Amino acid sequence: MFRNYIKLAWRKIKADKMFSILNILGLSIGLGITLLLFLFILHEESFDTMYSKKDRMARVLVHLTDDESPETWCGSPPAVGSTAKNTIPEIENTVRFYHYAFGQPASISVNDKNLIEPRFFYADESVIDIFDLEFTHGNPKTALARPNTIIISESSANRYFGNDNPIGKQLNLENYKDFEITGVFKDFPNNSTIDCNTIASFQSTNFAKNPTWDNASFETYIVLSKNADLASVEKKISKLVSQEVSDPWYSLSLQPFSKIHLYSSNYQDSYSARIGNIEEVKNLSLLAVLILVIACINYMNLITARSQKRHKDIGINKTLGASTKSIILRFYAETALITLISILFSIILAIVAVPLFNQITGISINYRNLFTLQFIASLIIIWVVTSLIAGSYPALHLSRLAPQVVVKSGFKSKTSGLLIRKGLVIFQFTASIILIIGVLVVYQQINFIKNRDLGFNPDKILAVSIGAAENKNSINSLKNKLQNSSNIVAVSSAQGFPGVDVSGRSIINPLTENGYNIKTNNADSEIIEVLNLKLLAGEKLPETKAKNDSIVDVILNKKAVDFLGISPEEAIGKKVQLSLGNNSYVKGVVDNFNYSSLREGIGAYAFHNNATREFHNYLLVKFRGNDIGGVIEEVKDNFEDFIPNSAFQYSFLDKNLERFYTSEKRMASIGLSFSILAVFIACLGLFGLAAFTAEQRSKEIGIRKVVGASVFKITKLLSLEFLFLVAISLVLAFPLAAWLMNSWLQNFAYRIDLNWIIFIVAGVIAIFIAIATVSFHAIKAALTNPVKSLKTE
Amino acid sequence: MLLELDHIYKWVTTGGRRTFLLNDLSLKVEEGEFISIMGPSGSGKSTLLNVIGMLDGFQEGEYKFLDETIHNMKEKHRSKLYKEYIGFVFQQYHLIDELTVYENIETPLLYKKVKSAERKALVGDMLDRFNIVGKKDLFPNQLSGGQQQLVGIARALISKPKLILADEPTGNLNSKQSDEIMQLFKQLNEEDGVTIIQATHSESNAAYASKTINLLDGSISKS
Repeated sequence: MFRNYIKLAWRKIKADKMFSILNILGLSIGLGITLLLFLFILHEESFDTMYSKKDRMARVLVHLTDDESPETWCGSPPAVGSTAKNTIPEIENTVRFYHYAFGQPASISVNDKNLIEPRFFYADESVIDIFDLEFTHGNPKTALARPNTIIISESSANRYFGNDNPIGKQLNLENYKDFEITGVFKDFPNNSTIDCNTIASFQSTNFAKNPTWDNASFETYIVLSKNADLASVEKKISKLVSQEVSDPWYSLSLQPFSKIHLYSSNYQDSYSARIGNIEEVKNLSLLAVLILVIACINYMNLITARSQKRHKDIGINKTLGASTKSIILRFYAETALITLISILFSIILAIVAVPLFNQITGISINYRNLFTLQFIASLIIIWVVTSLIAGSYPALHLSRLAPQVVVKSGFKSKTSGLLIRKGLVIFQFTASIILIIGVLVVYQQINFIKNRDLGFNPDKILAVSIGAAENKNSINSLKNKLQNSSNIVAVSSAQGFPGVDVSGRSIINPLTENGYNIKTNNADSEIIEVLNLKLLAGEKLPETKAKNDSIVDVILNKKAVDFLGISPEEAIGKKVQLSLGNNSYVKGVVDNFNYSSLREGIGAYAFHNNATREFHNYLLVKFRGNDIGGVIEEVKDNFEDFIPNSAFQYSFLDKNLERFYTSEKRMASIGLSFSILAVFIACLGLFGLAAFTAEQRSKEIGIRKVVGASVFKITKLLSLEFLFLVAISLVLAFPLAAWLMNSWLQNFAYRIDLNWIIFIVAGVIAIFIAIATVSFHAIKAALTNPVKSLKTE
Repeated sequence: MLLELDHIYKWVTTGGRRTFLLNDLSLKVEEGEFISIMGPSGSGKSTLLNVIGMLDGFQEGEYKFLDETIHNMKEKHRSKLYKEYIGFVFQQYHLIDELTVYENIETPLLYKKVKSAERKALVGDMLDRFNIVGKKDLFPNQLSGGQQQLVGIARALISKPKLILADEPTGNLNSKQSDEIMQLFKQLNEEDGVTIIQATHSESNAAYASKTINLLDGSISKS
C-alpha cells in the first residue's frame, strides 16, 4: 500500500512539472537557508567545547565600579592570577595571557626574515596543560619553564621555517629581545576563543617579576578543582582585591568558560577577535524558522491551488473504497516525498552556498558538519516536521471531502479554504515586507555612519607600526624626512589613533572627588593637525620636551572639560589629575570627536606627552593627492632606511574604523540575501494562489468575456484582489517593522530616524513584485477562449 | 430483495423555497435485475443513483439495502457496505490519470487490502475478459473514450459487486462504442447475475434493460 502511495506521489510530481518545480524550488531554498543558518548556529555553539577542562574553567572579569560610566573588561591585573592560585585552595590552576604591547601586532625577526606577527602572546607555563596544547616538536613539560623561551604554532613554524625543525632557533622581538624556540604546538582550532600564533613564557616579561594590582590588561583563566563551587570561589577572589588594594577602582567576577564566546560582546579589551553574539544567534535562528515557515506555507498554497483536480481525485478514490485515513496518508506520503527531494536539493544548495556565506560573514563554517550524526539526526527531524506541517493542510482539509463531490456535476469547491490561503499569503507578505524594510533601514544606518562627521577627518591617513624602532631618534629622523615630502601634509607619532584602543584611566574632578573614565593617548604635537581636530582653547602640545622635564602637557576633549565643570578657556593651565603624574597641566582643549564606534557615545579623551608611561606605536601620515600606491611606496622606502630591522606594516584610518561595523554589515548582507530569497518564496506562494484563483474563476471569466469584458478589465479584476492582500500585509507590516527597527537602532548612540520614504519604497517594491507575479496568471486567464472554460461545465 | 426505497424525499432550500429533488419516491430492486432510469434533465436520475449508491443522503423516508436500514447508519459502516457490494461507472469515466490501466483496475482491491498474489490473478482475469491485456500499461489519456469506459467498468467489477450503478455510462461515446458497452452490461447481467441500474437519456440504451423507470420531477411517473 505504502509503495503504491509513493508511486502515485512520484507520478503526480512528474505529471505537473511546473508546479512540482515551483514547489521543490521554494522548499529547497527555504530548507537550504535553514541548513546554512543551522550550520552557523552549530559553529557558534561549538566554540570552546574542545578543551578537556572546559567545565571547570572561568575567565576573570574586571568591572569598573566607582565612576559614572560602568564598563567590564576582559583583562585583569597580573597579580590576580598568581595570587589567586597561591591563596585559594579550590583553584587548581591559573593562566595569564598578555597580548604583546596590549594588542599591537609584533614585529619579529626570525630565520633572517622580518615579519609582522599579529597574535604574539605571553602566557604562563600552565597554558600548555590548561588548553591541552598538543606538541609536534619539543617537550610540553618543560617548554615554557624558563624565561625567554617561546613556543609557536604549527602554521607559524611553517611560515617561519618551512619544513625545518624550529627547535632551538632564535626569534627576535622588535630588536630588543631574543627568544629560544622550545616547542611547536598544533594550531588552536578555528572555534576556539583563545587563538595564539606564538606563546612566549610569561616570566620573560617585567610584569611577571612584580605582578601589580593595577594595569588590567591580562586575560586570566582559572581552573577550579573538581567539585569546587564557582560562586564561592568568585567571592574569595573578590575578597582578594579588598585585601590587597587600598582603594580599589574595580571589582572582579568570574565568567564561566562556556559563556565566553556568546556573552562577551559588551565587554571591552578582549584579546580575541572571535567574539560571537547571542543576540545575533537568536535573530538568525528566528530568521531560519521564519523562512522555513514561509516555505511550508508556500507548499500548502501551491498544493491546494490544484485542489479542483484534487477534489475529483479524492472523490473517485472514495467511491472506489478509500478511507479518509488512506487519503490523509497519501497526501502525507506525497509531501514527504517532495520534502525529501527538497532536502536533498537543499543540502546541495547549502554546500554550494557555504563558501559564499563564509565570504559574506567572515566566519568559517564547514559544510562537512552537514554529515555529522548530529546533523543527520536533525535533518531527519526537519524532514518529519516539515512534512507534517506542510502536508497538514492538504491532508486534513481535502481528505474530509465527501465522495459525492465527484459525481455531483454542479459541485463548486467551498471558499472557506480560500480564506485560510489568503491568510497564509498575507502572512508571507507581511514577513517579506518586514524583511525588506529591515534591510533598507540597516543599509541606511550603515551609510549614515559612514558619512557622519566624526569630529576629525580619518581620510588619507596612513598608520605605520613603529613599535620595533630601536630608538626615538630614528623615528624623529623618519618623521622629518617624510614631512619634507610634497605628497605628505603632516606626520605625527602617537600611541594609538581613533579606532584602536589606547590606555584607560580615570580623571578626577577635584571638587567632587568623583572619577570618570578617560582614554589617554601619548602623542606628539602634530596629532591635532594630522587628525584635523578642532582646537577650542589653548594650544597644541609642545614640539620638543626636555628629557628630564617632569611637566606633563595634556590636551583634553570637550567631554572631559565638561566633566570638570569648567569652560575650555578656564581649563587652560589648570592642574589635572588623571594618573599621569602630579605635574599634569591642561595645555589645550579640542572639540569632541568619535574615537570609537558610533554605537558608543563620546567619552572623555586626552592626548599627553608623558613619555614614561606609554610608547609611540604608530606613525600617522596624512597625505594629499590620490596616488595612494606612490605614497605607500615612499613611506616604505624611508621606513626601511631609518628603521631597517623591522617589518613595514600599515593600515588606513578610515578602513580601520569600518571594522567597527563589520557585524552590522554582516547582518545586513545576510539579511539582504535572505530577504531576497524570502520574497522570492513568497512570490511563489502568490503565484500559486493566483493560479488557483484563475482556475477557480475560469467559468466566471468565461461568462464575463462572453458578455463583453475586455482582456484588460479581466486582468484588472483578478489582480486587484491580490493587491488588496498586499495592502493588508503592508498595514500589518509597517507598525511591526517600525517597532523592530526602532529597537535595533537603539543600539547606536548616533542613529537615523525612521524615514517614511523607507516604508514607501518597501511598499512599492512589494506591490510591484506582487503585480508582476499575479498578472502572469491574470493575463493568461483573461486571454483564454471562453468556449474552453464554459464547455467543461 | 437487494434494496428497497420507501417514500424517499430529498430537497434543497433555495431562496426560502424547497425544491424537491426526490419526491415521495419508492422503488424495489430484486437481485439480478437490469433497470434503466429515464427522464429529462433535472428529473433526478443522478440524485437517485447517488442515494442508492450511498454517496448522498436524503431528508425523509427509508432505505434498506440487503435488509439493513442504512439511512441512520454510521458513515464508516455505510462506506463498508458500498465498498463491498456496489461498483460505480461514470459518464466521464473518472479514471485516475496518474495510474495505468492495470493500476486503475487494481485500486479497489488495494483499498480492500487484498493480498498481492490474489490481486494479480483478479486483475489478470479482468484484463483477459475485456480483451485489454495489451493496454494494461497505458495511461487513461492514451485510450479512446470507449476503451476508457471499458476500464471504468472493469474497475467497477473487480471487487465483485452485487450492484453496478451507471450514470449515463455512454453519454460521451459514439453509437458503436455505446452499443458495445450495452452488450457488455447485458452479458454481465445475464451471465454473472450482476444487478445493474443505469441512468440514460437514450431510448435504445434503455431497451437493453429488463425494466425501465421513468422519472419526472423526482417522482416515478406511471408509464
